[in-house]
Amino acid sequence: MNDILNARERFGLLVIDEKPDRCNIIPLITSHAAMVNKTRLRDYYTDGEIMARAQIAAIEEYGHDAISIFSEVGIIAEAMGSKFDYPDDDLPILRTPALSRQSIGEIKIPEPENDGRLPIYLDAINYAYRAVGDRIPILAYIPAPFTTGMMLSEPENFLIQTIREPDRVKEIMDKALDAAIKFSYEIINAGALPMIVDPLASSSVISPRIFKEFVLPYERRLINFLHRYDLDIILHICGETGPILDILPETGADLISLDQVDLKKAINSLSKRMRIIGNFDTSELAMMMPGEISQAVKHMVAQAKNSTKGYIAATGCEVPIRTPRENIKAFIKSAKEAGWYWE
Amino acid sequence: MNNIPGKITMSEWSEIFNSLPEKIIERYCYYNNNEWGRYLQPPATFFVYGARELKRLKFDNSLAALRMWGFVFNESERLFRAKQSGKKVIATCGDLGTVPVIIMGFPDCIPFYPECIWWTPFFNESNVLLEPAHQLGAPEAACFSKAALGAFYKRAYFPKPDLIFASTGASCDDYSCVLQLIEGLGYEIEWLEIPYRRGFDYPERFVKYLTNEYERVYKKMKNLTNFDKPEQLAETIKKINRLRLRVEEIKALVYNADISPLPALELMVIEFGNLYGYADIDEWLDIVDMIYETVKQRVAAHQGVLSPDAVPVAWITPSADPYLLNLIEDYGMRVVETEYVINQALVKIEEAIEPFTALAKSFMKASLIGSTRERIARIQKAVAAGRIKGIIITNMLGASHCAMETGLIGYYLRDVPSITIDVPAPSGITEQIKNRLMAFAETLRQGYYE
Repeated sequence: MNDILNARERFGLLVIDEKPDRCNIIPLITSHAAMVNKTRLRDYYTDGEIMARAQIAAIEEYGHDAISIFSEVGIIAEAMGSKFDYPDDDLPILRTPALSRQSIGEIKIPEPENDGRLPIYLDAINYAYRAVGDRIPILAYIPAPFTTGMMLSEPENFLIQTIREPDRVKEIMDKALDAAIKFSYEIINAGALPMIVDPLASSSVISPRIFKEFVLPYERRLINFLHRYDLDIILHICGETGPILDILPETGADLISLDQVDLKKAINSLSKRMRIIGNFDTSELAMMMPGEISQAVKHMVAQAKNSTKGYIAATGCEVPIRTPRENIKAFIKSAKEAGWYWE
Repeated sequence: MNNIPGKITMSEWSEIFNSLPEKIIERYCYYNNNEWGRYLQPPATFFVYGARELKRLKFDNSLAALRMWGFVFNESERLFRAKQSGKKVIATCGDLGTVPVIIMGFPDCIPFYPECIWWTPFFNESNVLLEPAHQLGAPEAACFSKAALGAFYKRAYFPKPDLIFASTGASCDDYSCVLQLIEGLGYEIEWLEIPYRRGFDYPERFVKYLTNEYERVYKKMKNLTNFDKPEQLAETIKKINRLRLRVEEIKALVYNADISPLPALELMVIEFGNLYGYADIDEWLDIVDMIYETVKQRVAAHQGVLSPDAVPVAWITPSADPYLLNLIEDYGMRVVETEYVINQALVKIEEAIEPFTALAKSFMKASLIGSTRERIARIQKAVAAGRIKGIIITNMLGASHCAMETGLIGYYLRDVPSITIDVPAPSGITEQIKNRLMAFAETLRQGYYE
């Protein structure tokens, strides 16, 4: 089947509860795009135009349904004062968290047009939007407050503080929330749809109780802000999410991107309230043979494509940087075949 | 909100929107549905969803205008929601303003104009709808109404209509060919013929003929809905008249104010709302009332959105590219009269006579079914009254009426300077076009022609 709609039309129908020609296919192709574009990773995440060009090159190579403006989850924390190293061929690495040098009161809410690499992301959005924004949705990944909070602190300490110094953690979270809102606002005005990513809120890292107390209220407030604009908001949480499945709708997110969870269980639990995105195992994507990937993707899509509020075929997490291209092509080709809706 | 009227950018609207209380955002819903019907959103929302031109447009800064834009940009979603909630969605093509009155007389029936999607490629700065139209047989040189062909093919801009009515006969040839191509895609179209008017003293049989055509539309609708209360049509006509009267009041206030209280772009959107109320006539009426109040207050306060010395011009034939309406104001002109080929949608429909006959008689005022001289009679009056210093004519490539009429319009209105702009494809407004408009404004302002 040949596509009838473009990616923007397809996503537009999904979010108003209509079936498009086929299901949306949005594997989380982020920094892998640098490989497609034969770009040094460091250039990808330090130059907005290069990031955008790499993303467009990936779209041209694979034909998936969204641009993903993202490299790693530290961007807001960096703009708030955390220091990162920039290896040539790897993603930024947290060197000095802001709170190891400053008090919470000294941490400033960043200006997205000036601070850290936030302007690079805005440049990337502007470039991609001008180039393909009429045909392809631009997703800009925004680290949620909990994830940013952890990047502002020594991560282990931050987790311990959720038990020993909860008020301090909430103070940090308030700042991280303000920063996320401010960044989201600029992202919207640049033409991208904010997608909230909260990988460190995974049940692989924190308990459901901690999630309820420190993650949920802040995700909800961020999503409430975005809902004022009537935008359809994606929330992505990596890793294990089984223990918090029932809580996820309380975030208010319209689409939920899931990783390590039984897809059937997630559909049963969530699909009447949220659109499901997921959840092909990224290790399998990187390691399996294309034929095996095709079979597994077809099974996944067949299982999920008729979810009540709609479904996006995706990977559970970011596509590993050095994933063989044939594997991604196999993923997309089989998702297109299995995800066709129209007669 | 700032009470000083003005034109603002998309980013400035976002800033204002951020400070709007939640209760105001929640107040406005189409089809009275609070779950999915909220529509008070800033231009940035639609920018995120691909309306790229919004970044360079300027908008009126009133809450009423924000509400209007949110409502208009939500139309595609609204049509899908209509269908999802069990309403009948009826495509009414080509007659621009009359068949929808009949449709609105049936409960839960929503008329819309597929060809009005010609604005979408311009708002999106995109050929996404035009390219498939070309591939399906509409030549590159055809009128931008061919965007409807792309939309029918893609099925992503409105739901499959329950019925499609399309006018033929004295309609635009390009549009008519586009509709035939749409029929070729497998859509069943109920054609109705509209007669060519030779002078305003047309024979009575024309009215009888049209009345029969409208009764045929009614029967089709009756069969679709199992609803048969012709008296409901009289009530709908009253409602439509209330809208048309209100729009006339707004236009009179805008045209005659010392300082223009509303930009030309917003006023064009209001004028076109007369066709079908953007798929929720009751909500649209409420929006138009709100705009009227805003304009009235501004006029009373001697406040406006343009400079007091803006040069008054008339605009003939609507521009598919909204940006042009912004530009002429940037260059110091203001629109004080229009002929957007929808005269039939602006006139009062008689209420004291049999409804189908009343509709037929109102349609006989249509812009495109008679001579050019008739079409621009209103503009000529305004010229004679000295209200207009210049004429802007926007020409749609390929549209049969443009090719035929543009020269004639210039000739009949030769007492005032005019400029003709061939509206280019999306995002095609060049520096040359800008320079010509700028020079036209300057010469009018300096009075070189007088």
